[in-house]
Amino acid sequence: MKIKNVNHADIKINTELTAPGKKIRIVHKETQRHQNIFFGAVAVLFILALFFIEVDYNGILQGFDRLPSVIKELSQISFENFGTLAFGMLTTLTIAFLAVLISLIISFPISFIVAYNVTPNKFIGTIFRYATMLIRSIPTPIWVLIAVASLGFGPMAGIIGLLFPTTSFFVKAFAAQIEEEGSDVIEAIRSVGGTWWHVVIKGLLPVLFTGLIATIGVRFELDVHESVILGIVGAGGIGYLLQSYIQYYQFGDLTLGILMVFVTIFTLELVINLIRLRIGDR
Amino acid sequence: MKDNSSNVRYSQKKIKRSLTLIFFVLLVIVAVNYVDFNPIELVKSIPIFISFIFVDFFPLNTSDLGEYIKPVIDTLFISILATTISSILAMFLGILMAHNTTPWPICRIIVRGMVTFFRSIPFLLWASVLVVILGVGPLPGMFGLILFGTAFLARVYAESIEEIGPESLEALDSTGATYGQKIKHSVLPQFMPSFFSWTLFMFEINVRSSAILGIVGAGGVGVLIKESMDLFQYSKASTVIAIMILMILILEYLTNRIRERLI
Repeated sequence: MKIKNVNHADIKINTELTAPGKKIRIVHKETQRHQNIFFGAVAVLFILALFFIEVDYNGILQGFDRLPSVIKELSQISFENFGTLAFGMLTTLTIAFLAVLISLIISFPISFIVAYNVTPNKFIGTIFRYATMLIRSIPTPIWVLIAVASLGFGPMAGIIGLLFPTTSFFVKAFAAQIEEEGSDVIEAIRSVGGTWWHVVIKGLLPVLFTGLIATIGVRFELDVHESVILGIVGAGGIGYLLQSYIQYYQFGDLTLGILMVFVTIFTLELVINLIRLRIGDR
Repeated sequence: MKDNSSNVRYSQKKIKRSLTLIFFVLLVIVAVNYVDFNPIELVKSIPIFISFIFVDFFPLNTSDLGEYIKPVIDTLFISILATTISSILAMFLGILMAHNTTPWPICRIIVRGMVTFFRSIPFLLWASVLVVILGVGPLPGMFGLILFGTAFLARVYAESIEEIGPESLEALDSTGATYGQKIKHSVLPQFMPSFFSWTLFMFEINVRSSAILGIVGAGGVGVLIKESMDLFQYSKASTVIAIMILMILILEYLTNRIRERLI
C-alpha cells in the first residue's frame, strides 16, 4: 500500500506538554483535511441519495412483516430435487472450468502482444490494451445476456459470455507480470542475439508459470460466482434452477440450492488456498 | 547413495507430475462431454457472436437519452448508500472478527462463520431472493449489495486489522487504556489507509453490481438493458451499455484520484 511521504515539518506537535489536558496532535495536516472533506462529501451524498431513491419505508415494514413466514418456508428444507440441483451445480462448475481453460489458451499469445517490453508492435499492443480494458468494464452478466440473445439458451452461451471478461482479465494479469519481472530476462536473451520467439518461449513463459496457479485460482473462484449468477440470465446451471424456484415460490428447494452453492464455493476456496500454500512452500 | 535417493525423488516427482497431467486431461474430457461441449461449435459461434454485436448493436440509438438519466443516478445512489452502510456495519464486524481486537474469542468464530456464509453466495442471488420479500424496486438490490458488501468488507477489514503490529496495542495496554481507547488511538489510525483503499474498491464493485441488479428486477440501469434486450431493441441496449461503460470508467478514474489524495 502506498503511504504518503510525510514531511516532518508538516506534523504538528504541540510542544506545550506542561499545560494539563492539552492534546498533542500528531496527524498529517493535509491528509487529515482531505479525509475530513471526504467524510463530509460522503455524508452529503448519502443524505441526497436517501431522498432521491425514495426509500419506501412502508415497503420495508411490509417486508419485515413477511419475513417470519418466508423464513419459516425457507427452513422447511426439501431434498426432493437434490439430484437435479447437484447436476445443475456440476454444470455451473463445468461452465466456469471450460471458460477459464479456453481463456487461458487465448490470453497467452495476446499478453505477449500487450506487454510493452516484448510487444512486437507498439501500436497493435496499445489497441489490444484498450480493447481488453473496454471488455473488462462491461460486467459479465451483460456479456452473457448478449450471448444468450445471439446463440440461444444453454451452456454454450454461458461459456462464450464468460470467455471475454475472463480472457481480458488474464491478459491484464499476465501482461503486468511480464512487465514487472520480464525485463532482465529479455535483456539477457537479446544480448546473446536471441530472436523474439526465443525471448517469448525460453525467457518469458517460465516467468509466467510462477504466478500462474494463483491467478488461475482467483479467476476460477470468480468465474464460479459469475457462473452461478449466469444461470439466472438463462445460461443453464444451478442459477437457472434457483431462479425458477424463486419464481414458483418453492422455498424448500431454494434453501437446499443456496446451501449447495455455499458449500461448493466454500470448499473451492479452501482447496485453492491449500494449493496456493503448498506451492508457496516449494 | 545420495545420488540414488535424489534420483528416486526425481522419478517420484516425475510420476506425480504425469499423474496430475493425466488427471487434468481426464477432467477436461469429462467436462467437455458433460455439457455437450463441441469445440467446432465454439469456433463457429464466436464469429456469430461478434458479428451479432457489430450488426445488431450499431448504430447506437440515442433518441431516448433523457430517459436514461434517472436510472444512471439511481444506480450511483444505490451504490453510494450500499457502500456507506456496509462499510459502517463491516467496521464493527471487522473489529469483532480480528483476533487482536476481538473482545471474546467465541464472538470471533460466530461472526466469521456468518460472514463466510453471506460472502459465498453471489449478490445477484441475494437480490433475487429479496425481490420476493420486498417487491420489485431499488430496495431489494440495495439490501442485496449491503449483505454481500458487508460480508466482503468485514473480511478484508479484519485482515487489515490483524496486520497491525502488536507494539502500539501493548504500549496502550501498559498505560492502562480501556478497550475503547485502544481501538480509537491504536487500531483506527493504523487501519485508516486500508479502510479507504478497500472501501473505494468496494464502491467500484458496487457500481458494477448495481448496474446489473436490474436483470432480476432490482432497479438501476440494468432494468433498461434487460427490457430493451427482451424487446429485441438492441441498438437501444447498446446505448445503455455504452453509458454504463462510460460511467464505470469515469468512476474508476475518480476513485483512483481520491485514493491518491486520502492515503
